Amino acid sequence: MIFAATMRKAFSEAWAKRSSFWFQVGVMVANDLFFVAFWFLFFNEVESVRGWDVERTLLLLAMLATVSGAALGLFANARWLGQTISDGGMDAALALPANPLTYLLGRSVDPSMLGDLVFGPLLFVALGDLSVERVALFVLGSAVGTVVFVSFLVLLASLTFFVGGRGEHAELGFQAILMLSSYPPDIFAGATKLVLFTVVPAAFVSGLPTRLVDEFSPALASSMVGVAALFAVGAYAAFGAGVRRYRSGSAWTGA
Amino acid sequence: MSAYAAGAVAGFRRLVASPGEMVARACFYGVIVGVLSSLWRAAADATGGSIVGYDVAAITWYIVFSEASVNGTKFRMIEHIGTEIGSGAFAVEMLRPVRAVTFRMAGELGDGVVRLGAMVGVGTLFGTLIAGPPPRLETYVLAIVSALLAISCNIAAQHAFAAMAFWQHEAKGAWFLYQKLVFVLGGMLLPLQIFPAWLESAAWASPFWTMSYAPARLAAGFAEPWLLLGQAAWLVVLYGAAVAAFAAGERHLQEVGA
Amino acid sequence: MAVVEAVGLVKTFRTGRGRSARTVEAVAGIGFSVEAGERLAYIGPNGAGKSTSIKILTGILHPDEGSAQVLGLVPWEQRRRLALEIGTLFGQRSQLWLELPARESLSLLGAIYRLGKDRTERRIAELGELLEASDLFDTPVRHLSLGQRMRCELAASLLHEPQVLFLDEPTIGLDLVAKQRFRDLVVRLNEETGTTLFLTSHDVSDIEQVARRVIVINHGRLIYDDKVSVMRRSLLRTKLLEVRFDDRVDDLAVEGAEVVKGSGTGYKLRVDTDRRPIRHVLDDLLDRYHVADISVLDPPLEDVITEIYEARP
Repeated sequence: MIFAATMRKAFSEAWAKRSSFWFQVGVMVANDLFFVAFWFLFFNEVESVRGWDVERTLLLLAMLATVSGAALGLFANARWLGQTISDGGMDAALALPANPLTYLLGRSVDPSMLGDLVFGPLLFVALGDLSVERVALFVLGSAVGTVVFVSFLVLLASLTFFVGGRGEHAELGFQAILMLSSYPPDIFAGATKLVLFTVVPAAFVSGLPTRLVDEFSPALASSMVGVAALFAVGAYAAFGAGVRRYRSGSAWTGA
Repeated sequence: MSAYAAGAVAGFRRLVASPGEMVARACFYGVIVGVLSSLWRAAADATGGSIVGYDVAAITWYIVFSEASVNGTKFRMIEHIGTEIGSGAFAVEMLRPVRAVTFRMAGELGDGVVRLGAMVGVGTLFGTLIAGPPPRLETYVLAIVSALLAISCNIAAQHAFAAMAFWQHEAKGAWFLYQKLVFVLGGMLLPLQIFPAWLESAAWASPFWTMSYAPARLAAGFAEPWLLLGQAAWLVVLYGAAVAAFAAGERHLQEVGA
Repeated sequence: MAVVEAVGLVKTFRTGRGRSARTVEAVAGIGFSVEAGERLAYIGPNGAGKSTSIKILTGILHPDEGSAQVLGLVPWEQRRRLALEIGTLFGQRSQLWLELPARESLSLLGAIYRLGKDRTERRIAELGELLEASDLFDTPVRHLSLGQRMRCELAASLLHEPQVLFLDEPTIGLDLVAKQRFRDLVVRLNEETGTTLFLTSHDVSDIEQVARRVIVINHGRLIYDDKVSVMRRSLLRTKLLEVRFDDRVDDLAVEGAEVVKGSGTGYKLRVDTDRRPIRHVLDDLLDRYHVADISVLDPPLEDVITEIYEARP
């Protein structure tokens, strides 16, 4: 399978520059620990905020770390897809006997984000209250979050096929979803909260997966999976439409 | 006009000529203010309307200025300085008849004035929309002066940190560490009053509070003008540190080649 | 009066750390002097010690041994004062601020060099004329072509009317026309204002057309110091012949000529004209073979310089 092969290659590339690899992993872990410290200080003063106490918020952090570690660590190229498209990287991808989207997504691994992928689950375990059910829900939740995250990035990148640019909007969208996923979604009021469920689906990246672990309900689980599937299909379709446009020669990829 | 003043003006003009990245940053700043103020307001609600002495309006304006002050300096400045030192571009600056590090800082200050202006503009708009006008007009004005001192202290400190590039050829690690120090010890994300005693002492003993907490505290409505004196004092120290660090770096170049 | 006096300069660097630490002798005893108004090419292979010796002369580095004076000042002791009297132009690093029009960079430099507003404006006008660049000064530098940018860089390095101008790879990346224009400008500058030129370049035409004197550095030592014309003359004894024959020729042999390369119908020959006049070689060739075409060439200066590098230790 080409996807696995490109992943393997990406891993060995990153592993070859070992000291840089460990440094970046260390930086990410330190970053996460910093956030843990932040939440401890915050909740030192206030018991809970709109139903979120320190444990649940740290669970949110664990979920976000796992999701971003998986999404940006394993599919690192997703973040730069818009730029790849505008730089003409599609030509190389289209010349290969593989699905261009899966090839481009699997092409590189970001070691610093893998630090998150380790930290997230570790934090989850450290929070205690482990049970087979919770672990399974954590895995399901992070899977949903990862699918939504990567799909969102692909959707943003696909815009480049239609409106050009160098993928700056994709970078802004990335920063926005990351920022919005870092805080309990219930702190936001009506309109903003709506955004989190739609335009910038941060709720599906961290908020809802966290609720899934704490307050499982089959309805919640199935609707989350449904939404994730919807995002994935939408991203695949949007990218495909973009590629068709690109191949027809009418896409503007002005650099 | 002195060379350094001219450098500051040039920094100002350069950013005005090419403001794209700053505009993106200002949008990002707007989102951060929205998110963080929502968080703190929810917190204040949960604790009966005020948290560690800040009511909803005060904490909103705190965030507006704490974030504006930090975003009023170029993102990853330490890394950029490090790259220029590591690549040898800095050696060219040593050929000019001015103190290179001071000239650089002057340029960053000119740049920072534009940046800070943009952030404070956006922030004042957002703050007023979210929580009404600033709690006290006098302290708001002081906050603006304090914010200028804040970015000056920030710029000087970043140059001192970035000097490690003379030895390491780059300064990525320094930037990362610095950012976190400002976020926490500087009171950008959390007012210092929320810290346990030992952490609060550490924060006061370090220079980072000058870069974010001081203007934020004033904007929140607390009449503490002595903060400005503290900032000015730290500015002198930090400037000296930057000059000394660069001088040490230049001496190091003598041994290993520029 | 000598504008540059260097005697026995030595500079050693420490590289690596711990067990792999080494000392590198970048400059191992270089000395020369340069008179006012000279046009000097200062050349050598990469790692020869050129940049290091220039950094010593401009005050960025101080030598471990030896002495130097530039315009009567000790560079590393009076760096900022010296900076007011010398100009530098780097082909690979810009002195201009790219987002701004050149005019604003020049105004800023005017403030840095303490020229005062009036003198700065006057100089900008003068340089605009001298360098045929007045129409370029109001465009943001990043929108200029490389050739146009280099003319603005030249203006920047000359704004404060320096007595000595150090040029480091100034024509790198320029197209032929721009190179030629640049060379003409600096020569004219030297002839009209007497500015001493100190040029480093890998481009042999830069050396041939701009410099009158050439110093060759290798392994931290000075291995050649003479007029460009002398350097050229010493290789005029060697000529190259490019010959094309009507019919295929195997085992080409002509007295006094050495086959450099070729076979079949095309050959390149080298002739030492001290041993045999080129006329006789040509006569032989034309008599004995059916020659379709023949050219007589000077060997490139490059070859000579390489020879110099390789000849001395």
